[in-house]
Amino acid sequence: MQVFVAQVINGLSLGSIYVLLVTGFNLLLLVAMIIHFSYPQVVVFSMYIAWVVLRYTGNNVPLAVLASVGASVAINLASAPLFQKIMKNREEVDINSTMVVSMGIGMIITDVLSHGFNKGLPISFPKELVGDVAVFRFGLISLLSGQVVSLAVGVLAVSGVFLLLYKTRQGRAFRAIAEDPNGARLVGIPLLSTGLQSYALSGILGGLIAVLLALMLGYTSPGLGELVAHKVLGVSIIAGLGNLPGGLVVGLALGILEALIQGYLPGSWSNAIAFLVLLVVILVKPRGLFGIKL
Amino acid sequence: MAPSEVLLAVKDLEVSYGHINALSGVSLEVCRGEIVVLIGANGAGKSTLLATSLGINLPRAGSVTFRGKLISGQPADRNVRAGLCLVPEGRGVFAAMSVLDNLLLGAHHNLRAVERNLVRVYQWFPLLKERQNQVARTLSGGERQMLAIARALMSSPELIMVDEPSLGLAPIVVNDIFQILVRLNQEGYTILLSEQNAYKSLKCAHRGYVLETGKITLSGTAQELLADPGVRAAYIGA
Amino acid sequence: MSLPLYYFLTITAINILMSWALYLPYRVAHLHFLTVANMAISGYLSGWLVQGLGFSFWAALPIGLLAGGLLGWLLSLFIGDAPTFTVVIVGFTFIYITRTVIENTKAVGATMGMFGLPLVAGSPAAHRWALLALLYALVLVVGFLIHRFEHSRLGRASSAVFVDKDLATSFGVDIKKLGRLLQVFSSTVAGGCGVIYGFLYRSFHLDFFTFQLVGLFMTIIFVGGYATMWGVVVAAPLLYGLTLLFPPEVASWRIVIYGAILVAVLVLKPEGFITRRLILNLERLLSSKRKKI
Repeated sequence: MQVFVAQVINGLSLGSIYVLLVTGFNLLLLVAMIIHFSYPQVVVFSMYIAWVVLRYTGNNVPLAVLASVGASVAINLASAPLFQKIMKNREEVDINSTMVVSMGIGMIITDVLSHGFNKGLPISFPKELVGDVAVFRFGLISLLSGQVVSLAVGVLAVSGVFLLLYKTRQGRAFRAIAEDPNGARLVGIPLLSTGLQSYALSGILGGLIAVLLALMLGYTSPGLGELVAHKVLGVSIIAGLGNLPGGLVVGLALGILEALIQGYLPGSWSNAIAFLVLLVVILVKPRGLFGIKL
Repeated sequence: MAPSEVLLAVKDLEVSYGHINALSGVSLEVCRGEIVVLIGANGAGKSTLLATSLGINLPRAGSVTFRGKLISGQPADRNVRAGLCLVPEGRGVFAAMSVLDNLLLGAHHNLRAVERNLVRVYQWFPLLKERQNQVARTLSGGERQMLAIARALMSSPELIMVDEPSLGLAPIVVNDIFQILVRLNQEGYTILLSEQNAYKSLKCAHRGYVLETGKITLSGTAQELLADPGVRAAYIGA
Repeated sequence: MSLPLYYFLTITAINILMSWALYLPYRVAHLHFLTVANMAISGYLSGWLVQGLGFSFWAALPIGLLAGGLLGWLLSLFIGDAPTFTVVIVGFTFIYITRTVIENTKAVGATMGMFGLPLVAGSPAAHRWALLALLYALVLVVGFLIHRFEHSRLGRASSAVFVDKDLATSFGVDIKKLGRLLQVFSSTVAGGCGVIYGFLYRSFHLDFFTFQLVGLFMTIIFVGGYATMWGVVVAAPLLYGLTLLFPPEVASWRIVIYGAILVAVLVLKPEGFITRRLILNLERLLSSKRKKI
């Protein structure tokens, strides 16, 4: 029972990270109207940037966070013109070509990481920051400080994003474009600059996610980007592309499922089983549980 | 009639979609305080004219001036901020968002006046206040038209362009909508209206233009157009 | 024949076949990445049959083809008419699951892989020639089949599906059947490639079947031109040959180079280099020349 509770808590941390990733992905899908397949790889890149900053500034955490956010935003804004150009190439917005472009970007990022850092081997974050002292102990349940922070920040971030989307002017503009870009234009919402804002926002989110992942996992590797990307994309299919509340539910569910599997089964199988579950659900419902928006 | 300020002036506008000429050399004027009607059949180019005036399309030739300033070529959001707005055909409300969110979107560029405008809009349309948290999809056709007009009002416009307000609405509801437009005009809003329903719209308007396959074929006061045999035959069926 | 040339020719053939396998379902907008998993599964299966159970290569090859086709068929029952995105994710998750299963299966060498597979023919030279001949025979057969498909009623239907699925359905195109057919064909070819690929090196290793491979094939298709089968034929040898010409330090960055080329082509020349118009013009030229004679 205690293992169960411990793993559920772990699962919520992991799940909130998935939710944030799916939300950032959906933001780009709905507002910028692109499929950014390698959004998680941008996030992993930011993790590396954070690690570099930590190393060369003697573990200056705020600076690392800033650098991580900056890196994500920079990459997103830099790739925005590429995506925009692709979308203008065809008469109808062919969203598949944005997916292929983002795969290309992902290829580049992953391989740069494989070559440029530690010969492609995983790198770990300083123990003092991740915390190897349990902050909370109850029988078998022990929470590292890193996990607590990541859970708390994760929950806050998810709430923050949903608040932004549903209660602010900017969020309204995002949702309007998501529902009907032409209608949004008629109300005087500038499509281009709002689209760019979604790149920036998902970049900020990405930088934060990078920090959370670093706290939660304590390490990063080039392959992490692809691994997380495939899971997150699986989640977004199951939840229904563009379905924000759905993403919340399915993301948390996956996190908890993975954590539970990790609690009871040895290492590399947890990923495989998670993928198997995703695969089965997708095969049964190729258009998602709650229906596709696209 | 005393000369009044020309709010919107369209001169020799030419708009084409690819090889199709939607508008060829269209000119019209809307003066402050007027209700001007644009009559035409389906495909005549009415929606194109309104959308181009707002800045959605780029004209191939000709100009659009609003309050004396050239606005053709400027993006639509700038023109909305300048006081021009459009209630699109088919209502154009965001069906998945709440009534309140739709209204707030109307005030996207005018948040300073949002509280004041919201109060006024709720005075005009009390039923919108009742339904402010309902999703727009649950409104009837007539209610959605009111929402669309209310949303336009939220941007504190000077000139409201309405594209086919009677489309898909029952005759009784159409009467209500036209009454609202007349009352808005009495409050000081200038209105440019495009309609297939010539009779009802001309009865509320000051002046009108007839648009046929991208060209203005007739213009005059509303009475002149109502009396014109050509107009009667083609659009009123009398 | 010199060894480098031999590997250039054989790997290029594999790349052509695999890129064709990916190209065909993309005619209906499916990026059928399952093909890489097919490679791995059929490859390892054949390796085990030959090394573990003493099958001959020539018996294992058809089994590999069959395994690929069967798996493709099975999954196509679910994703025959799925959106592009779904097909992509199914492919990727399957690759991941396959790799994990292989990693943990002692019988096929787990993370170490299989080595020292027997020769396909009598001597090392005969082995090499046999595989080379087999590969190019396959290239001709598959190329011929694809060519016939494209100029058939079905092929034209698939072009319609790519542009507008709903419109195509209203013309009576059975999207699910078409999608399934293309996916099965594609998986079968991929299975065969997986088997031959391993025997080229007489070993199987997880490093052969990675996500980078997906990237390579995608680059070949989109740079060459995804609208005709000839794009692959031109791009495969060029892209592979390109990296062989680089000095080794640069060559290790080839995935980055491929990625950059892919992105550049998509932005600057979205239909790729060998466009449909080019092929139509060439065909017209050739047929007018024939008429003159």
